[in-house]
Amino acid sequence: MTGESLLAAEDLQKTFGKTTALNGASLSVEAGEIVAIMGPSGSGKSTLLHCLAGIVLPDAGHVRYQSRELTTLPDVERSALRRSQFGFVFQFGQLVPELTCLENVALPLRLERVKRREAEHRAAEWLDRLEVGDVAGKRPGEISGGQGQRVAVARALVAGPRVVFADEPTGALDSLNGERVMRLLTEAARQARAAVVLVTHEPRVAAYSDREVVVRDGRTRNLERAA
Amino acid sequence: MSDLLLGARMAFAGGRDGWFRAVLTALGVGIGVALLLLAAAVPGALQARQARGDAHAAFGQAIPASTDTLLVAHARTEFREQPVRGSLLQAEGPQAPTPPGVTALPRAGEVVVSPALKELLDSPDGHLFAPRLGGATIIATIGEEGLNGPRELAFYLGSDALSDEWAVRIDAFGGGSSNGPGIGGPLIVLVVIIFVVLLLPIVVFLGTAVRFGGERRDRRLAALRLVGADARMIRRIAVGEAVAGALLGVAVGAVLFAIGRQVAPLVTLWDISVSASDIRPSLPLVLAIVVAMPALAVVVGLITLRGVVVEPLGVSRRTTVRRRLWWRLVVPGIGLALLYPLIDGIRTAGTTINEYQIAAGAVLLLIGAVTLLPWLIDLVVRPIRGGPVPWQLAVRRLQLDSATSARMINGIAVAVAGTIGLQMLFAVVQEESTMATGQDPSRAQAQVSIYGLADPGETLARLRASPGVNGGSGTLFTSASVASTSADDSASVASLIIGDCTALAEFATIGPCGDGDVFVAQAPEQPSLDDFVPGAHVAVGDGEMPWTLPIDTRQVPTRKNPNGWHQGGILVTTGAIDLAGAGPLHVSLYVTFNPEASDPLEHLRNVAASITPLSQVYPLQSTIQLRKFVNIQRGLYIGAVVTLLLISMSLFVGVLEQLRERRRLLAMLVAVGTPRSTLTWSVLWQAVLPVLLGLALAVLFGLGLGAVLLRMLGETVTISWPVVGLSTGLAAAVVLLLAVLTLPALRRLMRPDNLRTE
Repeated sequence: MTGESLLAAEDLQKTFGKTTALNGASLSVEAGEIVAIMGPSGSGKSTLLHCLAGIVLPDAGHVRYQSRELTTLPDVERSALRRSQFGFVFQFGQLVPELTCLENVALPLRLERVKRREAEHRAAEWLDRLEVGDVAGKRPGEISGGQGQRVAVARALVAGPRVVFADEPTGALDSLNGERVMRLLTEAARQARAAVVLVTHEPRVAAYSDREVVVRDGRTRNLERAA
Repeated sequence: MSDLLLGARMAFAGGRDGWFRAVLTALGVGIGVALLLLAAAVPGALQARQARGDAHAAFGQAIPASTDTLLVAHARTEFREQPVRGSLLQAEGPQAPTPPGVTALPRAGEVVVSPALKELLDSPDGHLFAPRLGGATIIATIGEEGLNGPRELAFYLGSDALSDEWAVRIDAFGGGSSNGPGIGGPLIVLVVIIFVVLLLPIVVFLGTAVRFGGERRDRRLAALRLVGADARMIRRIAVGEAVAGALLGVAVGAVLFAIGRQVAPLVTLWDISVSASDIRPSLPLVLAIVVAMPALAVVVGLITLRGVVVEPLGVSRRTTVRRRLWWRLVVPGIGLALLYPLIDGIRTAGTTINEYQIAAGAVLLLIGAVTLLPWLIDLVVRPIRGGPVPWQLAVRRLQLDSATSARMINGIAVAVAGTIGLQMLFAVVQEESTMATGQDPSRAQAQVSIYGLADPGETLARLRASPGVNGGSGTLFTSASVASTSADDSASVASLIIGDCTALAEFATIGPCGDGDVFVAQAPEQPSLDDFVPGAHVAVGDGEMPWTLPIDTRQVPTRKNPNGWHQGGILVTTGAIDLAGAGPLHVSLYVTFNPEASDPLEHLRNVAASITPLSQVYPLQSTIQLRKFVNIQRGLYIGAVVTLLLISMSLFVGVLEQLRERRRLLAMLVAVGTPRSTLTWSVLWQAVLPVLLGLALAVLFGLGLGAVLLRMLGETVTISWPVVGLSTGLAAAVVLLLAVLTLPALRRLMRPDNLRTE
């Protein structure tokens, strides 16, 4: 862990009732870097992602984003940070079902008080880049799972985040669609110079990252890649 | 069959959540069923009460005294505005009949009282009533079969001083109808509409209660599709689930009804208390309710299934179809068609009122508000674009599914529409039920009337000395007749009123007056007193005592007495006549009370009763409201509160359920940085928009119903905007309060923890 890291977690502890989710996990993410967090089900990888993003506060340990301590920030400031600096892609159920795809993608901009016309214009551009411009006027219930995840990626990137958090983004997709989503996500993130923290248990998905971290029993371990 | 049973098992499966849902449905259905059963028992309970009233009524018969006859004199009184049914009994032989509920006739100095009167006598206030029983010993209480209801105040007081002059002779109780004047046309319409307005929201609520947990059920059905159930099996399983929940609800309803039956006797409504044994809904109505509930659950369940596609990989809603208007107008149209022929028809005297036609018409008209609401919400929200994020989220949700929101406020809309219609009717009936009596309480607050006394002077003195009485003008009444000068040779008869100058001045403008003066006061529109000229020889009272009108008798104009009418006659000061030989006299005393005195009216009644139990004491009031109307109003308020609570509960559960279904989405939106206030406002907007539209529709239908009902009674249609504002404002306040009450749950559901799936 270095002082220049964009995002760093140190010695995180987190329990839910009697279940220990994190037990001394540490991780750092550099600007523009794509990091895959791997591990079996229940190992604590999603909890680590939630702590890194300031969604959940750890019981102990530190999370720093651009040298700001997230664990001591009030909820309102953490929310504002997530809105303006971070983007999110989840496995499922992330699009607001009653909004059209275009409105879903424009939502982060609208929350940042960008005018509707401008927000929807930028959202349409991102939908085109993610190759789902044709579903802009449809609601999430009317499109396929793969299209839905690409819309979610567009929404995660539309506000120009510094970090994109992706929690099993291909978990509900077939391999072909999964590959397509990962290719578009990583390409778009690299073009936007956004770091990506990717939680997955699939090596095939982790292969899109620059570096892999394994979480087991709540602890992290850097994985050396074969050349 | 196995599918139905599987569905029944699934109704209670699913751990804590499953039981919570089942209990909620059962409670909702149970409360509705219990209220419907209680309502269904009302006609029977009233009939039973009427039958008891008939059974203990004593109708005088033209029969001679014998060993099986009984003299009965009514000694009705009141205690703090509550009616007390009292009778004096005197057996004329050993086989004299006993009233229902009484095993042995009380003898002189004995009394049989109702349990409620015994309770009153044993209470600290008992001393305010006990003197009316003349110190008689309570020998028994009246059994249930001899009372109109368990809270009725009644007594049978034994006597040995009755004669057939003041009492009726009977050889059996009952044998006639004790019916008082029936309730008039406007009141019947009012009662019918009250039933409709109170019960319809309950039925609408039942429609909502049977689909509590609907979205979760759809997901369970999708899981069954995954393991091979086809669409028809799914429908059968859904039917089984719905029937199981409804049957549990019916069982809960039966328990609640049994509890309500035990509680009902403790309540007195419309001066009526009902025994638990009288609360027996008729079998056809019970069967109708018991069968209708599961049927309603099945129909509602299948209709909701039509709106979704249950596939093995999940549930999707059918694309919103354009809602058609025509059939939504047909329902209220039929309602209007049923009511229209009754316009101007009810006021006509002797018209038979078809309560069922009025009820059906009103129900269908009010249901119009329910059928039109989803269409109206669609119409209004469909073109809405833009706006801030919370507004956009709310509007888009309504555009996607207006039916759910509409369903939640159906009950409120129907209740408000009904209340407005009812209040318009109420205003008219109230006007008719509040009568100016013409009485002048500034001159006297009560009148005591006692017939047939030998020593009126002492009577007046005792009444004037009653605690709390600070003034009184007493007069003695008898009659005077004089041979007529007209051709038909009949006698002219007039009232002879004897008192001091002050007392006589209550009846006429007598001018200068001294003891020994006599006046002839001719009242307007009363038989002429022309034969009562100075010097005329008259016969006074039943004793036909001869007396001559003094030569200086003056003609004076009458004035309204404190009762509010002109009492004409011969006004005689006490020094002008010696009444010995005039026969029994009637004592009348107008009294004024000390405003600081406590219960002066009850003390006065006690003193009057100690003189004779047959005395009458009337409070004088400038206006009176028909007691039935006051009671109906009280019943309405109680019913309205119950209905409002029920609707509120349904609304609260509905909103909570909607939020629970969306907890992952809410948590996700918070996780991506959406301010909680944005989501809170979106939930509030989502509640407020349909409520506003629902209330607008409710006002429209309420005014429509009110207008039709008023036309039915031949009244001018007038709208009381404060009432409209109050009804809608109250409903809006309830909805907003409930929305605020759901905020803690909303905050819990917005916690990012809800993102966890493991």
